[in-house]
Amino acid sequence: MTIVELSLVLFGVSILAGVLGSLLGLGGGFVVVPVLTLVFHLDIRLAIGTSIVAVAATSSAGAARNVTESITNLRVATFLALATTLGAVTGALLAGVFDARFLFALFGVVLAVSGVQMVRKRRIPVAKDPIPAMATIGVAAAFTEGVDRGGRLADRLALHSAYFDEAEGLEVPYVVVNTGLGLGLMYLAGTLSGLLGIGSGVLKVPAMDLAMHIPMKVSTATSNLLIGLTAAASAVVYFARGDIDPLIAGPVAIGVLLGATQGSKWLAGMRSDRLRVLFVSVLGVVAVQMIWKGIG
Amino acid sequence: MAPLARGYGALTPPSPRGVRAAVGRVLHAGVLVSAAILLTGYLVGLVGDPAAFGSHAVEQAHLRASASFPHSFVAVWDGIGRGSGEAIIVAGVLVLILTPVAGLVTSAVAFARRRDWLFTAISASVLSVILGSFLIGWLSA
Repeated sequence: MTIVELSLVLFGVSILAGVLGSLLGLGGGFVVVPVLTLVFHLDIRLAIGTSIVAVAATSSAGAARNVTESITNLRVATFLALATTLGAVTGALLAGVFDARFLFALFGVVLAVSGVQMVRKRRIPVAKDPIPAMATIGVAAAFTEGVDRGGRLADRLALHSAYFDEAEGLEVPYVVVNTGLGLGLMYLAGTLSGLLGIGSGVLKVPAMDLAMHIPMKVSTATSNLLIGLTAAASAVVYFARGDIDPLIAGPVAIGVLLGATQGSKWLAGMRSDRLRVLFVSVLGVVAVQMIWKGIG
Repeated sequence: MAPLARGYGALTPPSPRGVRAAVGRVLHAGVLVSAAILLTGYLVGLVGDPAAFGSHAVEQAHLRASASFPHSFVAVWDGIGRGSGEAIIVAGVLVLILTPVAGLVTSAVAFARRRDWLFTAISASVLSVILGSFLIGWLSA
């Protein structure tokens, strides 16, 4: 196989990675890294360097559309980025302190548990007209009142918002809760991604969906913006180390840009329950990959 | 009814449309510019260095030492001057990596213009963490 043929294969695989990544708020590394290492036997360092480029491509191409359309919650992303970027730095500094195999196994188990929780979570019925929608907010606010101090933090930061769901054909307002817990989980997610050289969208989406009660679509779109900021922090290190090979990262970047641009167009019209099923399926695949690395 | 009022009051100021549109435009521009640079680099490489880009076997690519492709800003700059396809591709990748950071700078400025000092400070803090990690990476690489 020549470089041109390799480039074409990588280009095709990367389009798929970009579509899935932009829909699900993931970097696409879960598609790109196994192909590079298992199929092409590429050095793991170059594979991880390439995967960071895929994260940057998914994030920018995906968020470009969804920030403007307000599916992405810019305030939530900016606030949580504090924790994910600090976590990424912590992880980079702690590299080598922990046994990587143990961490991979732990990561896999955490993902599996998150997946089960996300399957269990019932789809919150979306109101068909504005008045019940208002009542939903009232109930959600009443439910969190006095129980959850993170809700007040979200008030102060004005994190609550609304987005127009094309699939449902209506405006969906939502109340953000457990902001402190979410911030802590994001710090852990950032640390793990720094330690293991992997994107952590698979942890960020469940943290927003399960802990902070952010709608699924908003969670994946917001994760999409977040992973680009976290990746930027470490990407320059990979570049300076010589882990970004242009002949491999180039076709991957072009393919992911195309795929993620298309995926972000599909996100608005996709039904949230289907998005959840797709996310949990991918979560399962990644969990198996991680546990395999841990015990293999 | 207090909780309801609380929920409503908090709902009114989401990220203003102007801020989101500005960030979206910057991200979109970064994507288009980097895609153009990447494609240019690929075409230049195919025409100028067909051995490296076309006929080489993949097996040889695995044996490539990191030193054989540009991995410092100086090397990328020099390579572009020489018309090296690889250097141009790396430049496109760097634009891509810095695009989310450009989006963050845009949102910090937009929040400041709206006198939303809390979010200006949060954006600036995130930016300083990212710049700090650039520096750490730079010194340790």
